Amino acid sequence: MDPQKSYLGRLLQEEITPVIMVFTTHLVEDACQKNGLNFIEMLLPFSLFNKINVPVRTASDQPYRLQMFKLRLAYASDIHLQNYEAAERHLKQVVHDASHKSLTNLSSDPPELEDLLKDSGSDLCPTWIQTFNKELIQTLCFSEHETFDHPVACLLVVSSKDERTINKFIDLLNTDQLPSLLNDGVMDPKILKHYLLLHDNQDGSPEKVTSILAEMRNTFGSNCKLLCINSAEHADGASKDISWMPYGSHTLPRDDIACFLSSDDINSVRDFMQDFSCNYIIPHMEQKIRILNQQVAATRKGFRNQIKNLWWRKGKEDAPETPNGPTYTFSSIESQIRILADYAFMLRDYELALSNYRLLSTDYKLDKAWKRYAGVQEMTGLCYFMLDQSRKDSDYCMENAFSTYLKIGSSSQRYATRCGLWWAEMSKAKSQFKDAANIYFRISNEEPSLHAAVLLEQAAYCYLLSNPPMLRKYGFHLVLAGNRYYMSDQRHHAIWAYRNALCVYRENGWSYISDHVHYNVGRWYSFVGILDVAVKHMLEVLECSHQSLATQSIFLNDFFHVLQSIGKKFEVYKLRLPVINMASLKVLFEDFRTYASASDVHVSESLWQSLEEELVPWASSGRSNWLDSQMKPSSLKRKDISVCVAGESVTVELEFKNPLQVSISVSEISLICELSAKSEGTETGKSASQIEPPEDSDHRNSPSYRYPHNDDSFTLTKVDVVLGGGETQRIQLEVSPKIEGLLKVIGVRWTLSDTVVGYQYFDFDAKNKQKKGRRSRHSSSSNLSFIVIKGLPKLNACIQHLPKKVFAGDLRLLLLQLGNQSKFSVKNIKMKISHPRFLIPGCMEDLNMDLPECLEKQKINGTRKAPADVTANSKSLLFSFPVDAIIQGETSFTWPLWFHAGLSGNISLYVSIYYEVASCSSDMTFRILRMHHDLEVMPSMDVSFNITPCTSSLQEFFVRMDILNKTKLDTFSLHQLSCVGNTWEISALPTSLSVFPVQTLLAGQALSCFFKLKDCRKSSTTEEKLTFRGGDLLMVSEDSKEAMIDISKSPMVEFHQQERYHQGKSAKGDPSIVEFILISKMQGSDPSILPGIRPKLLTNHACYSSVSSKCPISWQMSGPRKINHNFSKSFCEASFHLQVHNLSDTLLTIRLATTNCMLERKHSSEVAKLSDSSGNGGGWHDISLVNDIKAISNVHGNRPKKSSLETSSPFVWCALSSTKLNLEPFCTTEIPLKVCLFTPGTYDLSNYELHWVLKLPEEGITHDGKLCSSGSVGGHPFYLTVLQVRH
Amino acid sequence: MASTACFIIVSRNDIPIYEAEVGSAAKKEEAAQQHQFILHAALDIVEDLAWTTGAMFLKSVDKFNDLVVSVYVTAGHTRFMLLHDSRNEDGIKSFFQEVQELYIKILLNPLYLPGSRITSSHFDTKVRALARKYL
Repeated sequence: MDPQKSYLGRLLQEEITPVIMVFTTHLVEDACQKNGLNFIEMLLPFSLFNKINVPVRTASDQPYRLQMFKLRLAYASDIHLQNYEAAERHLKQVVHDASHKSLTNLSSDPPELEDLLKDSGSDLCPTWIQTFNKELIQTLCFSEHETFDHPVACLLVVSSKDERTINKFIDLLNTDQLPSLLNDGVMDPKILKHYLLLHDNQDGSPEKVTSILAEMRNTFGSNCKLLCINSAEHADGASKDISWMPYGSHTLPRDDIACFLSSDDINSVRDFMQDFSCNYIIPHMEQKIRILNQQVAATRKGFRNQIKNLWWRKGKEDAPETPNGPTYTFSSIESQIRILADYAFMLRDYELALSNYRLLSTDYKLDKAWKRYAGVQEMTGLCYFMLDQSRKDSDYCMENAFSTYLKIGSSSQRYATRCGLWWAEMSKAKSQFKDAANIYFRISNEEPSLHAAVLLEQAAYCYLLSNPPMLRKYGFHLVLAGNRYYMSDQRHHAIWAYRNALCVYRENGWSYISDHVHYNVGRWYSFVGILDVAVKHMLEVLECSHQSLATQSIFLNDFFHVLQSIGKKFEVYKLRLPVINMASLKVLFEDFRTYASASDVHVSESLWQSLEEELVPWASSGRSNWLDSQMKPSSLKRKDISVCVAGESVTVELEFKNPLQVSISVSEISLICELSAKSEGTETGKSASQIEPPEDSDHRNSPSYRYPHNDDSFTLTKVDVVLGGGETQRIQLEVSPKIEGLLKVIGVRWTLSDTVVGYQYFDFDAKNKQKKGRRSRHSSSSNLSFIVIKGLPKLNACIQHLPKKVFAGDLRLLLLQLGNQSKFSVKNIKMKISHPRFLIPGCMEDLNMDLPECLEKQKINGTRKAPADVTANSKSLLFSFPVDAIIQGETSFTWPLWFHAGLSGNISLYVSIYYEVASCSSDMTFRILRMHHDLEVMPSMDVSFNITPCTSSLQEFFVRMDILNKTKLDTFSLHQLSCVGNTWEISALPTSLSVFPVQTLLAGQALSCFFKLKDCRKSSTTEEKLTFRGGDLLMVSEDSKEAMIDISKSPMVEFHQQERYHQGKSAKGDPSIVEFILISKMQGSDPSILPGIRPKLLTNHACYSSVSSKCPISWQMSGPRKINHNFSKSFCEASFHLQVHNLSDTLLTIRLATTNCMLERKHSSEVAKLSDSSGNGGGWHDISLVNDIKAISNVHGNRPKKSSLETSSPFVWCALSSTKLNLEPFCTTEIPLKVCLFTPGTYDLSNYELHWVLKLPEEGITHDGKLCSSGSVGGHPFYLTVLQVRH
Repeated sequence: MASTACFIIVSRNDIPIYEAEVGSAAKKEEAAQQHQFILHAALDIVEDLAWTTGAMFLKSVDKFNDLVVSVYVTAGHTRFMLLHDSRNEDGIKSFFQEVQELYIKILLNPLYLPGSRITSSHFDTKVRALARKYL
């Protein structure tokens, strides 16, 4: 690229041009002001010559032609260095004007990234920035150390009206008015002078002035000219195509500008300027260059001069250093060289200029005149650039100049800036945009914030222009620029910069960056009053959970402040605060399924369905889809649309989360709904596909736009919440339709801090998410649409006095209260309870009774019916209320329920109540009310029974009851122990009544009680139906007046059956099983239990206490205990019977083996071990009587056999030694035994063994792990005393 | 340890997936966004430099005032960027290398989706420990 065609080239050719110093009189200015211009402004359009085409010959002999030329005109009074403040003010004005001119469309959308990249080059960099750069450079005009700003010539202008014209010219040149540069000796006062007489044609014909001109010519020589203006009467349009816009002033162009200038005037002005520059200025400069060049060549060029120069400089080294280096007057050789170089530069003889600049730079460097040195370096760099020579050299020079200026200090900072601007332009001309950006950034550090901002903005554009475009750098520098603009109160510029940077930072994870940009843009927009855009940006920063608490509250406060200044409520689509978890959307509605309370809804639908299997009429018939047949007769045959009832509310649950640490108040949360009334005829024809979700474009509209008026057809609830920091709340929103039709729940709206309304439509595309709710089995394509049907009766129910915490075994009476608030009556009420072990329906009579008393045994044993339709032993109970139980409209109905806490732990009770609508005209014929209660059942008492057969009697058993109070604080009093069924009878051990004098059981106390149990069955083979008239044992002391509880009464029986069902499988048919009911009362005082709900009665059911132990058989030896026999005659024979009873329910094979040798005591220890393993050491033990036998033997004399007692028995089993027989379940058989005794004494007839083998059925391996399949036991001790009868 | 140091991991699609202020200087609110700005802008330079060299450690690629950006580019074009004011190139190199090992371990986690934010507190602790050790 030709450097002269580049922007910098043109800039230099326009800016570094000869300066003409202009002196005018007042009358001259007055004449010009008629056109609205001053004198310089009038000449200005003609000071630029684009095609001057003048031959120029400088130092070399070869002339060249100059094409473009420009003169700079300046009043003498302006030729001085601008002071800093004025320059600042001026520049600020430039920036400020630019903001009004070019930044008018702030509220438009910021540019997109693609557009930015498409726009190339100059489009990006606004023109005002170039103007600013020029102005910035202009503030440095007329410096001491540079001569290209020094006037080349002066133009003296006097009006023809002025008195004594010649004297006026001389007065103008009075030294008082001369600029300081000339007076200080920096400039040569001998300057080319040009005299101009200005004639205003309105003042008369120009003839008069010719005499004055002649007089001037006589006085000043040939360089006097006459210029006539204002010859036109009216504006004739001759000046229209000339840009009068004065350079450097900021007045707006007016219509009356140059109105009196005719085309002749304009041509004469143009001719004058042409003549002036071609015939006077350029020749003058050429001549000066030639003279100076000769002078320099004579003194400085050549080897001799260089040596001399060096020596001379060296001598000056001792001179004291002044801050600006030595001063140079215009006559010094250095100044001369500088003038030569600058003139050469201005006349485009860059070679000559360069050689002189280089010569000069060494001098200044040696003199340590740093400012001049830097200035020369700067010009050297520009020369290199204009000559298109090595980039390295030019860069080096500019760098050198730049750093030197910086080194000097604050006074030269602006020069450094100028140098930097040129340098950056140089880089840009060579497409080194990155370098240019770097330079801009460097100089921005040296400038006050406003200038820095402009420079940074330029740096940003450079990054954008670089290849590849460095967008992030662009954004960053724009932000930096914007920040500086803001600091220097240029808000429009700041906004402009930030919003342009936004496209770089859009949609990425750099949260702090986007927060900063959006927040500041928003804030600044609000400052300049464009509030809607401000809010738009502020919205972006609301979800700033990563920021600190302080920042979050600042963001919020500013946001609300902006909103308040708007004045009206702002509606925002998808407001980010609070965050709505759309996945949490749950729709709760009641069609035929109604719920007693909100918590019941969360129970899974399948649970309810399994509970309601028998309850709901269609459920029994096997069908694939329940909807098909149910909805067939009605018009509601739509799989994908739910049904709701007019007047009843549809609830939508949503999670609202506050992501911030600041708490926010959210008010008026409500649903956005649409209810289209059902019109006749269309209801069946309308298919589901017609009910489509709103279009996406619709979604953008605010709810108030879509639904301008409040709809009366439904009511919405409004919820107000305050969400603390980080808090998540589930909020239930309700809509209740009032009329029939199609209800669509579309979205949700809320008000944040009473200032901004957010709204969000439920996303119909994210259907899968909504499936998670309770309605999962619906095809939920539009499960936010409901068909509203006519109002139906709805029962509400509650179970009164149902405690949350109960002790296990607690028995109480509860009331089920059913209320009907509608006007219609319901009938055919049925109920099903999921846990009949805990809850069973009572009967009407129960209502009037108090708890313990009603269960007590009455003297007159009135038989009570079991409640109607109790299907015993079914898994759950289906209970039909009496047919006459019709709940009329607006009445309520009470029914008793019995509650018994059967098992400790957490339990959920589900109750479904089915009812039919009395008037069948509606779409729905029945409804179901679902109730659900959670209970915590705490353990109260641990009761276990251990039953051991008594060896002495087959019908008697020994019962040990172990009770452990598992509560922490409560005391129970034992009331009654009953065993169920008439086959058993329990009684206290006669001697051991004193064993349990305690009737109370303290917290944590364990107690063992012993009882005797007797089998009252006449024969063990016949089975009787179980009745509940078992033996009872009152455990309270006799004197108290506690009455016995009748366990055969209604609730006890059912609960016992349930317990039996749950505790063991074989509830009936096993006669070996004893069932106990321990009834106790509560005494202690756990303060956590309110007195009202203190359990009055606790029943513990132990239903699977088997009388059988490890050993499936029980046996008993019967026979004489005492025999008198005369041993002298013969040995004694005694017959016994061994009764063996099969306790198990399987066939047994029993083998009896008798041994004649006395077995060691290991038998008894084995037996003991067996019994040990079955219980905890309680029960019967064989106590060895061997020692006693010994003692008895000793008493009865010294018999030789006694000594062999240990080894062989003194008796012999006769008859069978081994018997094998089969024993049917629960049967008894007798085995005859016979013993031969030889001597009198006491004998232990226990040395027999019973071997038993269980004949288990094939499949039933051990359903009862306690029983071994086979085993053997030794005999019970049976003592026989034989006495010698003396005859 | 450097008084100011900001470590950031930028995924291959230019999204920061891990950020940590590991400097010893008191944390300032302004600093967080300034650091993000500088590091974000430095990505442009990294784009240029990464393809000119085979080395993973690009040394200091950019600077803003007295803050220097050092970058380490993994083979998967994940960039570890450290903004620091100390000149300890060796330490920074070791730091980056050890962090890469940690990062690889994160990548090996089958539940970690590459390019998503690293939320492991274990990783965070380890990185901070490394920063104390090397920076």
